Order: sequence, then structure tokens, then C-alpha cells
Amino acid sequence: MPLLEVENLDVFYGDFQAVNGVSLSLDEGQTVAIIGANGAGKSTILNAISGINGQKKGSVRFAGEDITRLRADRIARAGMTMVPEGRRLFTSLSVEDNLRMGESAARKGPWTVQEVYALFPRLGELRRVAAGSLSGGQQQMVAIGRALMTNPRVLLCDELSLGLAPAIINDIYRCFDRIRDTGVSIVVIEQNVAQAVTAAGYAYCLLEGRVSLEGATSALAMKDITAAYFGTEKTA
Amino acid sequence: MIWVETVVNGMLLGGLYALVGLGLGYAFGIMKIVNVAQGDFIVAAAFLGVFLVPWTPVHPLLVVVPVAIISFIFGILLQRLMINRVLGQDQIPQILLTFGMAIVLRNGMVELYGANSQSINVGDLRFMGFDFLGLRLGVLPVVILGIAVALFAGLHLWMRHSRMGRIIRATADDYQVVQLSGVDYRRVYGIAMGIAMALSAVAGVLLAMRGSFTPYSGADRLLIAFEVVVIGGLGSFWGMFAGGMILGVTQLVALKLDPSSGLMWGHLMFLLILFLSPNGIAGLVRR
Repeated sequence: MPLLEVENLDVFYGDFQAVNGVSLSLDEGQTVAIIGANGAGKSTILNAISGINGQKKGSVRFAGEDITRLRADRIARAGMTMVPEGRRLFTSLSVEDNLRMGESAARKGPWTVQEVYALFPRLGELRRVAAGSLSGGQQQMVAIGRALMTNPRVLLCDELSLGLAPAIINDIYRCFDRIRDTGVSIVVIEQNVAQAVTAAGYAYCLLEGRVSLEGATSALAMKDITAAYFGTEKTA
Repeated sequence: MIWVETVVNGMLLGGLYALVGLGLGYAFGIMKIVNVAQGDFIVAAAFLGVFLVPWTPVHPLLVVVPVAIISFIFGILLQRLMINRVLGQDQIPQILLTFGMAIVLRNGMVELYGANSQSINVGDLRFMGFDFLGLRLGVLPVVILGIAVALFAGLHLWMRHSRMGRIIRATADDYQVVQLSGVDYRRVYGIAMGIAMALSAVAGVLLAMRGSFTPYSGADRLLIAFEVVVIGGLGSFWGMFAGGMILGVTQLVALKLDPSSGLMWGHLMFLLILFLSPNGIAGLVRR
């Protein structure tokens, strides 16, 4: 049984339907990528799964439980959280206070403030600094750390590479192995296809709110991905 | 010397004004909610104080404790049962809701207590004075300033160093993202409104000890609260404290020069500061 299973998900913003009949699944220990152009509905899907956006139809099952109508804070307590797009740190809090917010989920597990500092040593030196004054890459590390502090079983990552220099993006993705080793399953959203394909074992390509292509990343040809990404030819 | 005494008395009054603003400013800073009923809640707390004083042991001043506790619980219920239902991008429903509550509350108080002027009797304390560096000061105003300073400092430290304070600050930054850490922002809002109500209630009771009030005093109280918050700069604790001081000193100095001016010069000072620095004192410092 998959750890996370989304079936026929429709998501709305008022009258506008942004996501149309999307199904996807994630097994324990797996990393799955959702790729697609700007406005394809990637973030909308994650916001719906994590409970931030409640205007949805279809079903979301997590660890065998139906969580479609569950509030976001309950979902986080149940073991699924998100690194939101644009990081959205608590800017008036210090780095360490941002991390400690994750303790509110009251979940036991391997991730503590010390473990996060071991993963991102730079953050340990900056622990007393206001989170708003950090560089983009450091902020992204805090955002990931804050999510890990809830000791999630599923981590949803929304555009980790947004606005970051390539060297920093590589640093951040390099930590994924450590995170996976602690038993966390990951869903990543990316505009950067090459990055997503290396990080994930399975990928869904989204076009205008629908899945236009899916498969194991080792089996997907770049030509097909390009077509599904831009919608230049009809793929199923 | 008489002028020094006036300024000092203005500061003693200003500390209390700051406390009147603190509840409103705290609620706004965290939830971006403008509680138009705050002034009438302040008056209702004063009535509650009048009602509870005969049962208060040791000293009437201690009536602030039960009033604060009752108001805290009331604030939580108010937020969770009513205001949380109208949260959203649009601020009009919140303003309509609290405006409606203000009308109901005011008329309810007139119905129950009549329109007469009332005061909380603190016994001899009201008339006691002492000499300090050649100044003649009242004991009650000094005690009230002490309470105001203690509440400002206490709230500041609690927000900075406690676990709940951290959660409240994070919720003020981004109420949606705190959910991803397992925090129910509706519950946090309830606690924040409880604190705002308790602070306002203490201010209301202390005002009623220093002076008098009627069920219609709410509008004046709300105006003072708004002016303190705006002069201070939204969301800044010590800006609000300074805002209260400025209002208090301006009012008493002006009353000395022009005894029939009432609150007018305080309001003019408010307009002047708004004109010079639209973001209040905190905005001036930040610049």
C-alpha cells in the first residue's frame, strides 16, 4: 500500500479550477518529482495535499487514513509537512526559534535542532540571527530544517531551487540522501527538469493542471519530457 | 516646579493610556483584526470591577486580578466562537461584527446600570499622596503606572522567551505556514485575543479607579487606544508606551494652559505626529 495516495484530485481557487483529476502515489522511502512549467498547477497540488488549500475534490490518503478533509495542522501532526514555495520563514524569529517551531507537531523521531545543525553546519553558526536577514540559500536550509523538526514521514518540497544559485542548489539537493536515510519519503516540485530527474526515482509531468506524462525517471526520455512539459505534441 | 509636576503627572496618566492602547495594538499586531468593540469592552470590564469590588479581599485594587481572568476567558470564547468565523482577506466582516458587538454591549450596559457616572471605590488610596524631590504626587497614579510598566515589560519578556510567545510571534508572521508545524492558528488567535482582552480589562478597571465612567465612555476609550497605537507605530510595544506618554503629557500640560480644552490638544498632537511621521514613533526610529 502506498504511503501517500492521491486520487482524482481537483483543486479550485474560487470558480477557477487549477488542477484537474490528478492521481499520484508515493511509496515508503521513495522520492517522487512533480515537474511542469509555471502555472501548471504543481504548487496547487502540494497546497491541497498539505491541507493549506481546502477547496478540493477527490481523495488524499496518507498511511491508510483518508485525510482529504483534515486541517493542515492535523496533517502535520499526523506526519506530513511541506517546505513552502518561497521558503516563508518566520522573519521576526531567530534561526533556532524557526527550527523549534517544528516541535509544535509533538512528533518523536530522529530530527532535533542538533541534527539539523549537523546537516547544515552553517545554520549552527547563525542560530541567534534573525531568519529574515539570511541569504536565500541559508533561508532554504532553515525552511527544510523547520519541516524536518516535525519528524515527518512525508516531506513535500515546493521549488527548493527557486531563486538560488546553481552551486547552492546542488548543496541543498546533496542533503536529500541524509534525509532519506532517516526514513523520510519525499515529494519534490521542480521547474528544473534535470535536477528533478536526478533527485527522484519517479516523476509526474504536469501540463495545465493535468498529468501529461509519468514514469520511472530512468525510463523517461528527455524528448518525451520536453513534449509533455511544454505541450508541444499530445502525449497521454 | 508646578510645570515639572504637571509633566510628571502627565506621564503617570500616559502609562495608563499606553495600557489602554496595548490590548488593541496587541490584537491588531498579531491577527490584523481591528476590534472596534475594544472601547466598550474596556467599559464593561470597569462595570465588572464595580460589581466585584465588594467581594474582593485585602484591597480593592486586587479586583484587577479576577477581572483580568474573566476577560481572558471571555476573549478566548469571543475569538473562537465569533471572530474566527469571519477571518479572511476581507476586513469588512470583522469590523461589522465588532461594531455590532459594541452597540449591543453599550446598550446592554445602559439597560443594566443606567446612564449615571460611576467609579470604582479604592478607599483612602485615592486621596493619598507623597512628596518626592519636592513634587507632590498621588499614590494611586504611581501604583497604576507601576502596573502598566510591569504589564508592558512582562508581556514583552513573555513574547520573547516563552514557547507560547514564540508560537504567537510566528503566527503573526504567517498564520498559514504555522499550520505546517502542527500549530492550530485558530487556537493561537483565541489565546492572543484572551491576552488582549485581559490587558484592556485591567486598563478599564484602573481608569475607573482614577476617574469616572458611564456606559457611553467606550468611544473615548477606543479613541485613546487608537491614538496610542497609531502614534506608537503598529505592532511596537515600546512605541505604544511612548505614544501613551505623549498623549498623557500633552493633555495635562494643555489643560494647565487652557482648562476648558479637554482632550482637544491630545488629539491635535496625534494629528501632528501622524502628519510628521505616518508610521508613528517606531517608523521614525526604523528610518
